[in-house]
Amino acid sequence: MGAAATQLLGAMAQSHYNFKRIQIVTGSTALIDVVLSKTQRKTPTEIHRHYAITRIRDFYTRKVKFAQQSFHDKLTRIVDDFPHFDSLHPFYADLFNVLYDRDHYKLALGQLAHARSLIDGIARDYVRMLKYGDSLYRCKQLKKAALGRMCTLIKRHNSSLAYLEQVRQHMARLPSIDPTARTLLIAGFPNVGKSSFLNIVSRADVEVQPYAFTTKSLFIGHTDHAYLRWQVIDTPGILDHALDERNTIEMQSITALAHLRAAVLFFVDPSEACGYTLKQQHALFRNVAPLFAAKPLIVVANKTDLGWEQELTPDSEALLADFTSPVATVPAPGEDVLPAEPLAQRAADALLKTSARDATGIAAVKRTACELLLAQRVDAKVKSRKAQAVLNRLHLAQPVGGDQTNPERPPTIPASVRAKRAAEAAAAEASHVPDDDAPFLRRLVAKPGARVDSRADDDEDEAMDGASRRRLERDLEAEGGGPGVYSMDYRKLYELKRPAWAYDVIPEIVNGKNVADFVDADIEAKLVALEAEEDARTAVGEVEYASEAVLDGYRALTDQERATVAAIRDKKLLARATSARERQRGRMSVSRSAGARKGLDVEDFRSHLQSLGMENEDVEDLTEKVRGRSRGRSKGPRGHGSSDGGSAVAASGSKRNRSTSVVAATGADAGGRSNSRSVSVGPRASKRIRVGSTSGIRDLSHAKMAEKAARAKTEKRIRREARKGEGDRLIYNENPKHMIVGKRGVGKNDRR
Amino acid sequence: MATRCLFENSNEIGVFSVLTNSYCVVAIGGSENFYSVFEAELAEHVPVVHASIAGCRVVGRLAVGNKNGLLLPNSTTDQELLHLRNSLPDSVKVQRTEERLSALGNCVAANDYVALTHTDLDRETEELVADVLGVEVLRHSIAGEVLVGSFCNFTNQGGLVHPMTTLEDLDELSSLLQVPLVAGTVNRGSEVIGAGMVANDWSAFCGLDTTSTELSLIESVFKLRDARPSALVNQMRGSLIDQLS
Repeated sequence: MGAAATQLLGAMAQSHYNFKRIQIVTGSTALIDVVLSKTQRKTPTEIHRHYAITRIRDFYTRKVKFAQQSFHDKLTRIVDDFPHFDSLHPFYADLFNVLYDRDHYKLALGQLAHARSLIDGIARDYVRMLKYGDSLYRCKQLKKAALGRMCTLIKRHNSSLAYLEQVRQHMARLPSIDPTARTLLIAGFPNVGKSSFLNIVSRADVEVQPYAFTTKSLFIGHTDHAYLRWQVIDTPGILDHALDERNTIEMQSITALAHLRAAVLFFVDPSEACGYTLKQQHALFRNVAPLFAAKPLIVVANKTDLGWEQELTPDSEALLADFTSPVATVPAPGEDVLPAEPLAQRAADALLKTSARDATGIAAVKRTACELLLAQRVDAKVKSRKAQAVLNRLHLAQPVGGDQTNPERPPTIPASVRAKRAAEAAAAEASHVPDDDAPFLRRLVAKPGARVDSRADDDEDEAMDGASRRRLERDLEAEGGGPGVYSMDYRKLYELKRPAWAYDVIPEIVNGKNVADFVDADIEAKLVALEAEEDARTAVGEVEYASEAVLDGYRALTDQERATVAAIRDKKLLARATSARERQRGRMSVSRSAGARKGLDVEDFRSHLQSLGMENEDVEDLTEKVRGRSRGRSKGPRGHGSSDGGSAVAASGSKRNRSTSVVAATGADAGGRSNSRSVSVGPRASKRIRVGSTSGIRDLSHAKMAEKAARAKTEKRIRREARKGEGDRLIYNENPKHMIVGKRGVGKNDRR
Repeated sequence: MATRCLFENSNEIGVFSVLTNSYCVVAIGGSENFYSVFEAELAEHVPVVHASIAGCRVVGRLAVGNKNGLLLPNSTTDQELLHLRNSLPDSVKVQRTEERLSALGNCVAANDYVALTHTDLDRETEELVADVLGVEVLRHSIAGEVLVGSFCNFTNQGGLVHPMTTLEDLDELSSLLQVPLVAGTVNRGSEVIGAGMVANDWSAFCGLDTTSTELSLIESVFKLRDARPSALVNQMRGSLIDQLS
């Protein structure tokens, strides 16, 4: 977890200085266009002057608020995207100051932040005024004024926006330097070979030209040493003059030197081919020495390929030696400044000679610099006790016997492995190259446009490789059609007593059953035969049907039989339709009395039975039986009616009708007779007219009228709404689509 | 010599392979690329075998083995057992166990002389481990984790354990196992050592994400090539401190 956390922190630190993520800053006109068009698109557009005034006010308030919010968001994004000087690493803060001018940058961002609060204020004021708008026209004018003022405000900040966009584009192109990472920093006069060194030591491809100030900004490359990644930063050349005279290009170098905790490689050119004397270079070194404080410092005397080592004058030699001497030499007579006593000074940790052109001495420089810096960083970490947390990772736990392997537990290394290792060691001994600059030389050669042709070397390598290399399963796969097509023969590697046994067929047992028992060898043939038989049958099927032949034990129907079947089916259909019609009609349109009158006609019944093919005697019997039953049933209610309170209706012998029963009930109640209710009031009557409802009724005709009116009222509603009856309260569509979907304006949301 | 490789874009190669001093078992993948990495390195010395266990590709987590034997979970089918028996040398015992903790690779870590096991492993399985693998069995946890097979990897030459193992635990484990041990990571900071790498006495394989620091640590502690474990304290100390803190 420790490592994971460290890496996470590392990733965060890197992402903190990623300036490529800042979004494009649009100019003021584009910004205004975007916001106004968005306001138009995303707010309601239809309003009429006859609408309620609150609705009109809401309509325009919404527009003003929306525009304000859009401007606010856009400006906030810009202000937040750009890094804040105060929270930046000092290196980046200073670099931005050099490149973009700190005051200008802060002013631009500050103005936008201020504009944002002004826009908020405008919106607040106009929304307040809109509350007093008394007509559509006035509200509209207020809205127009609000949006207009916001736009004017933004227009005034066009220059800030344009400046920030330029800064953004430049920042996106800055090299992604991590100020806290392990860094080698290359510095020196222009044209002394700084960029050439970077090109050799890393995979960076920096432009190298034989004139001063080819490099105009910082460049970064990466290299490996001691299993770690190191960033190498190439800086523009610096000249020897006062700090306030330095230009932007030089200031970038100074910034990097001042703030990055890196190993400094100070390049000098003793051959003076760069156009500056060694004395000048030495003076510069002394001039910028304060910037090297507490950093590993290596002076690199470059361009040995020009042969300056042989032509060195004693003066130059003394100057070169002085780079590494901790005490200042007394300046030569004729110098203006003459210090009273030798001063303690920052001396280089090492002076190394290199040639970037021939790639000699490069490895030594890199190694020395990396080791010095690593030692310094490790020291700091151990002192700050950061290393305590990972102490267990640095500990090699050994058994009591020390590094010696336990003689009773020797490692198991096959003889073939030992032999191969010995052969490899011998080969490596034979072809050992003592020069540790070899990788750099190879890289130099590999660069495009190199004079040495490296292809012959590669071919040789490949030929050797192909001859000795074992043919792997991968190669076989590639030849056999690639992944998904090729399938490896796993049995070829079986180690059995006889190799032929590998391909024996072995029964596969699943759940105690042999799979082979369930496999029919000639299943394919059987299937084909079955299919052929089926085809043949379908081909002759229709012919057989026509000729009344017997098919699979079934006889085909004769024409007569088929007609009978059709007749039966028709009749069934007809009966079903009639019945459905009758049922439908029965409810509403046919009165009870009409239904009763229609009844079942004896003659109809007889003819129906006869048409079914019944004998005449049976028909008579059945008719009598049915008639007898109907009579018996009809007697029932009559008998009951006669016992019903001895009213006049009972004596009439016919079916009691509704109105009379009402009267009977009413009379019973009105008369205040002491009959118990179960006797005096029939269930129907008690259901229809309740006690309370009879109190206002004058007489029979009045009661009739009232009931008719009541029924008319309910029936009218039922008919209008196409109900099945009083109890039908179904809502067919709870959410009618046309009420719910589609564009919604102000105040159209409530539908009921 | 440690090699970096991938199994179908996964860095957890210890999940898909079992490597011992006398054989190597590799999962059946979509292509032969993963198999051929092992084949190129090992095939001239020991058999490198394709296998599945219970139809799964996670052979490294299900099976555990050393030069003497191979233990398989009870979900292994007869065909798979037959295939492994036929492919491995006769000196290697292949045995199926009835262990409830069927991911044996996660629960057991072994070299040719000693094995660490999950603390809840069955008595019978413990005996099987001792008999089939021919080792002394120790029930132990590493950095509070009972899945010892996932969080450590050791050979007869040395071992790598969970990065959060304390100093005392490291020393204790080292004297129990009689090999030098180091707490570390594989695959750019992954703590599941057993799943991220496989090793034997003369070679090691780890995921493609493994950094060069991790790789050189592995090479020195497993004594691959000419590296010695003492390199950790001598040459690599600075790099480790600078990278870890």
